[in-house]
Amino acid sequence: MSLQKPADGGSGGLAGSPEAEEPEDGSPGRCLPPPVLPWDRFSAWLHCVCVVGFDLELGQAVEVIYPQHSKLTDKEKTNICYLSFPDSNSGCLGNTQFCFRFRQSSSRKLSWHCLLDQLDRDLPIYLKKDPAYFYGYVYFRQVQDKTLKRGYFQKSLVLISKLPYIHLFNTVLGQIAPEYFEKNEPFLEAACSDVDRWPLPVPGKTLYLPIMGIVMKVRIPTCHDKPGTTQVLQSMHQADSQISIALPTVYEVDLFRCFSPVFFHIQMLWELVLLGEPLVVMAPSPSESSETVLALVSCISPLKYYSDFRPYFTIHDSEFKDYTTRTQTPPSVILGVTNPFFAKTLQHWPHIIRIGDIKVSGEVPKQVKVKKLKNLKTLDSKPGVYTSYKPYLNKDEEIIKQLQKGVQQKRPAEAQSIILRRYFLELTQSFIIPLERYVASLMPLQKSISPWKSPPQLKPFSKEEFMKTLEKAGPQLTSRLKGDWIGLYRHFLKSYNFDGWFRTRRKEMTQKLEALHLEALCNEDLLFWSQKHTEVETVDLVLKLKAKLTNGEKLPVKPGTMEKLKKHIDSIILAQPEDLQGILTKTGSM
Amino acid sequence: MNILAPVRRDRVIGELPQGFTKEAALHSRTSFHPKVVGMCQAQRTGTVGRFKISKIIVVGDLSVGKTCLINRFCKDTFDKNYKATIGVDFEMERFEILGVPFSLQLWDTAGQERFKCIASTYYRGAQAIIIVFDVNDVASLDHTRQWLADALKENDPSSVLLFLVGTKKDLSPAAQYILVEKDARKVAKEMQAEYWAVSSLTGENVREFFFRLAALTFEGSVLAELERSSARRIGDIVRIHGDERDLYLTEKRKRTKCCP
Repeated sequence: MSLQKPADGGSGGLAGSPEAEEPEDGSPGRCLPPPVLPWDRFSAWLHCVCVVGFDLELGQAVEVIYPQHSKLTDKEKTNICYLSFPDSNSGCLGNTQFCFRFRQSSSRKLSWHCLLDQLDRDLPIYLKKDPAYFYGYVYFRQVQDKTLKRGYFQKSLVLISKLPYIHLFNTVLGQIAPEYFEKNEPFLEAACSDVDRWPLPVPGKTLYLPIMGIVMKVRIPTCHDKPGTTQVLQSMHQADSQISIALPTVYEVDLFRCFSPVFFHIQMLWELVLLGEPLVVMAPSPSESSETVLALVSCISPLKYYSDFRPYFTIHDSEFKDYTTRTQTPPSVILGVTNPFFAKTLQHWPHIIRIGDIKVSGEVPKQVKVKKLKNLKTLDSKPGVYTSYKPYLNKDEEIIKQLQKGVQQKRPAEAQSIILRRYFLELTQSFIIPLERYVASLMPLQKSISPWKSPPQLKPFSKEEFMKTLEKAGPQLTSRLKGDWIGLYRHFLKSYNFDGWFRTRRKEMTQKLEALHLEALCNEDLLFWSQKHTEVETVDLVLKLKAKLTNGEKLPVKPGTMEKLKKHIDSIILAQPEDLQGILTKTGSM
Repeated sequence: MNILAPVRRDRVIGELPQGFTKEAALHSRTSFHPKVVGMCQAQRTGTVGRFKISKIIVVGDLSVGKTCLINRFCKDTFDKNYKATIGVDFEMERFEILGVPFSLQLWDTAGQERFKCIASTYYRGAQAIIIVFDVNDVASLDHTRQWLADALKENDPSSVLLFLVGTKKDLSPAAQYILVEKDARKVAKEMQAEYWAVSSLTGENVREFFFRLAALTFEGSVLAELERSSARRIGDIVRIHGDERDLYLTEKRKRTKCCP
């Protein structure tokens, strides 16, 4: 381990270079080349920063996009404009923070996307980037200003990013937005230049992110973290919030606070999210709608929610028509809305969560029954869950009691959230372990892998066979909850979440098989083989090996395998007649 | 969790580094304050190895060499065509002082007028301010007073340590430099700052300066913590240690005088 910092050829310096810390934590052999071009580091975190203002003639308009070269299509700009402002009557006086998610109108390549893909690989599945979507993080200010026509200042500072790190970006906005509104563009320029000095968002490392005079210390989780063990960064130095802050999480929302209005139905909500049922959250303002939607999506972690979800959705969204049409059954999406109009538009939706103002905990929620959908009124309906859904599992009274007790004892909200998160995690794991176990049994035996045949195929997934395994190795092994687990699985197997989960697993297992096959191939004496075969066959082998060399980068092979493969190729080529050598070296996908 | 890698061997400080000149130093003691030494020993053997961090801001006119100064120390490089700083640059440098890990956050602010309005955001919570001027540019020395005044608006003048640093010493002929130093020391005395003259090109005094800066900031923050904890122990009565407050001062600080 070298203690010397690498000579960083004037690249501006990796701020608080993470290399200085936890050196054993990195992934050896996968050194990321340092990005050196201006804005490279910025782009690893943010796509751009927008300022959305309200013009009395034009309505919402993007006033500034920074950096100026960032590309947004007109459609994307329109979406950002509408999504950056509250659309309800509630007013939102003062400062409001919320987030939204919108569809990217065309796929564009990032200048060094390969590098970012590598970072993505180590992320837990539920934090991986979705190529089709952007997140927008908003700081909206609406204050009286007599000097302006109509007497109000209304403006939003919006961070556009691919990363789902709500807590991090909300903190960043809290640091920069209030002063931006006073000091304008130089401030934005300086803030962006701070971000351009951040180290890359490498999962698993402690990162120091300087922003406007303070340093944020964060850790992005990795897929290797044990689920449920949130690696809270301890604030190691004096608690001087003017100098530095340690963020306990980059992406988590305050689960307990978000669910407190619908506290008695958390388990039913978990089922609805797991099954990918159409859900709409009607909230008084975008900050409540966005937090609640994110809380819902995260409650099935470590499973990924595979359908679309919109923390804040407006009638102006490009997908508004698709999602609200009455001619089709409602889509498998979770929408957060604030405009009362939706109560009418989405009347036909099967599950509606209605929340009032989220209060700081302190009150003990009273027992509330599920409400009938026909009782949902356009305006001033009572908070609650409106559905005719009958949960498959029996209600867990214990978690409710535990949390109620916490409220009575004034347990801190963070502790309540941790209890709730752990409860959801155990529930999800109990549910998914039998599936994991069954899917693992679809893997062919190691001995069926032969270097001279193509890699064996996975056995097909059979619902009935899986159901049979539940008798002996079902969730009853890990969960005390009773109820219709079989029914829940049957329903789940038809959902997008199962489809997405299974496709991901199948891909991983296929790659594993290919990797094992490649390793087996590399352990053979390929040169000897080629000497016993005809030239045509040898050429064919070399081309195949070369193809494996290019594709192999993505495979989870043992270290050294690719080097072995390269040596095999080289030695076979060298044993060929000279003219053929030249051709073979050039041909193929090198 | 989160065990820090050892500090670079050339960032270990065991003795108090001395000032550039005896006369224009923040204090003239030759070793660390005994209380600080005692506390560090207790901390090393004790269970809580508190990791400390201090914020340093660097201010001064456009192109007096603020970024060059930091790059010489942090990266041991020199490039006189280094691009102008937009807003602010940031470096973190780790030390080990009297066996205790200590980090300096170095915020290198832009000298351009355009960014003056935002600078105050970066100034907050600084433990030390480095005011930089070019020894070959008299105007830049004059402007240090204004830079200081701006930086102090966001900080507590009684607790922040000041360093007045003249750069580009290599470009200044000896005879001329003597005159500049005389003026600069006068300014330093007015602002109660410690004076240094350095060359980022040759590296002259750069390391010495940063070691002194780290040591004095560290000493200051340990003493401040001692004072806080003893105040807490006493309970509601906050005793003011007159002698410790004036640790660095021979006379009572009147910052208002030099910063109108």
